[in-house]
Amino acid sequence: MLVVQPVREVVRFLPALLVLALAGRGSGGPGGPGGVGWEAVAVLVAVGVGVARYLTTTYRIGDGRVELRRGLVSRRVVSARLDRVRSIDLTSSVVQRLFGLTTMRIGTGTAAGEDDGDLDLDGLRRPAAEDLRGRLLGAREPAVAPAASYDGEAGADGPSTTAVAAPVAEPETVARFDLRWLRFAPLTGTGLVVAGATFGLVTQVAAQAGLWERLEDGGASSLAGVGGVALLALLVALGVGLLLVVAAISVVGFWVTEGGYRLTREPGTWRVSRGLLTTRETSLDEQRVAGATIAEPLLLRWAGGRSLRAIVTGVDASERGSSALVPPSDATVAPYVAGVVLGGPAPVDVPLRDHGPAARARRRTRALGPAAVLPVAAAVLVVAGGPWWPLVPALLAVPVAWGLAEDRVRGLGHARAGGYVVARSGSLTRGRDMLAEDHVIGWNLRATWFQRRVGLTTLQATTAGGSGAVTVLDVPEGDALTLAHGTAPELLEQFLEHA
Amino acid sequence: MSDAAGPVLREPAHRVSPRAVWMWTTTAAAEALVLLVALVVATLVWDGLHWWAPALLAVVELGWVLVVPRWRYRVHRWEVTDSAVYTQVGWWARERRIAPMSRVQTVDHVEGAVARVFGLASVTVTTASAAGALSIDGLDKDLARRLVDELTRQADAVPGDAT
Repeated sequence: MLVVQPVREVVRFLPALLVLALAGRGSGGPGGPGGVGWEAVAVLVAVGVGVARYLTTTYRIGDGRVELRRGLVSRRVVSARLDRVRSIDLTSSVVQRLFGLTTMRIGTGTAAGEDDGDLDLDGLRRPAAEDLRGRLLGAREPAVAPAASYDGEAGADGPSTTAVAAPVAEPETVARFDLRWLRFAPLTGTGLVVAGATFGLVTQVAAQAGLWERLEDGGASSLAGVGGVALLALLVALGVGLLLVVAAISVVGFWVTEGGYRLTREPGTWRVSRGLLTTRETSLDEQRVAGATIAEPLLLRWAGGRSLRAIVTGVDASERGSSALVPPSDATVAPYVAGVVLGGPAPVDVPLRDHGPAARARRRTRALGPAAVLPVAAAVLVVAGGPWWPLVPALLAVPVAWGLAEDRVRGLGHARAGGYVVARSGSLTRGRDMLAEDHVIGWNLRATWFQRRVGLTTLQATTAGGSGAVTVLDVPEGDALTLAHGTAPELLEQFLEHA
Repeated sequence: MSDAAGPVLREPAHRVSPRAVWMWTTTAAAEALVLLVALVVATLVWDGLHWWAPALLAVVELGWVLVVPRWRYRVHRWEVTDSAVYTQVGWWARERRIAPMSRVQTVDHVEGAVARVFGLASVTVTTASAAGALSIDGLDKDLARRLVDELTRQADAVPGDAT
């Protein structure tokens, strides 16, 4: 048990050590012995910090609170009320899995969104962690009073034998991973991030090894004889090759992070498990799930994919990982799961109400207006004696913008169904938001002078989770009031004037 | 356009203090002055700029300083009822926000440096939503104080954690 923290600390410092090693080598021969000395000191410091952290960290659960104490010099105690627990993450890296350990992150949903509010319990034994999770999530029921004191250092003989608070029931699987979903990987944010990170790493290593200088020295002479067309072909081939590599990397990345995905329902909780190497299990309190968003960005939609994330009260949009319900998958999966999670297919299936001609015209002018400026600017440049080639991309921008505008027009809509406010908008990042009416905690109506002129407004139903609000874009003012009034009659009535 | 017969959301009942116009004018004038001085200095230093550039800026800024604060004053309104807070702010973009009293989490009272000169204060009512804070600038200081007390009392009366 003691092993894991120091190992993790060394792993955390590994990039720094690598840079140190490379810098030591790069700065020339004489610096050699000094470089080795620094590395040793760095490793020692890293291990020392790890041991110190381990020895000074304790966890405690009791009196309706969970407490994390740490620090040797400056002591810090983070404590949270058990009934404020919104989500629990169990993350096990490969090293931790070897030792049968896991890290528990307890999301308590502070409005400030600082990570100080979250409690990270590091290096728990797996069965003890699962038992603890059961207690924490069961703590909402008044019948179960968590009284046991839980100590991180005594974890070796943790009270895994004491009564398990969580009701033992067969978990029901709602969705599980399908290898065919890998085809969506290059089109997802995660895939692109993994590809970008890997690419960045490789370039950095190449730069450190002096690869670019060598390429320039050797390349200049050999490229001098090559014609322009051949050079272009070479560049295109290079671009295509790079794209293929990025796609392959993103597929592997997607598989590693999402492989083994499974969504299960246990009494009062939704649980998402995923990850091939580092496994991650997220448990969401059913009561805190305020709604869901079916994400259908343009590229993913073209490939026939959708993904789903929950809008969880107290879980900020920046903590995407904690609220993902379904990764990019076949078009039928996300709507099906949304229907199950939201307690009925009504908000998923309901046809959306059109926002009318003014909203359509606004989508078109807002997309085409800026795009139309480009050809004009390019033409002015040509007349002024500039090069002609900027005209080509400038003219191409117009049909692209037009296509986006039409897609945005098709996406626009809202509805009220099954106790949910439903809104959809966007093209490149289209999403269908479904928010439970009793989780709406306020209404914002924003209209610029242009919008007021044509009787439109942008309505926001605010909520305590996700991005803070569900936005109904450019809706006719009458429809906006009908939607808000239908959801919260007593609230709106006092501010309405009936003609 | 389409509101032929349907209900209309009326404006909140109360305007902010008329002194708010002077507060906004002061702030806008100060910002305009800084920008103008920067451009004048740039014109002196760099030959590429002509004198008509700062002159044009001065004219635009004069219009801005005269018009925008008054426009703002006509838009800024607020209302507090037993069950809700309702605000309207902005000028070009008008934003109306309604929050039920039961969802109010904190009530802030802020007196900025310029606001204090004019005896003004702003009150911010936050809810649990990242998009839901209701802020009213340019309230009379004493009124703002009373408003904060009343809001705090009303919000306290409702049980639950307002999410």
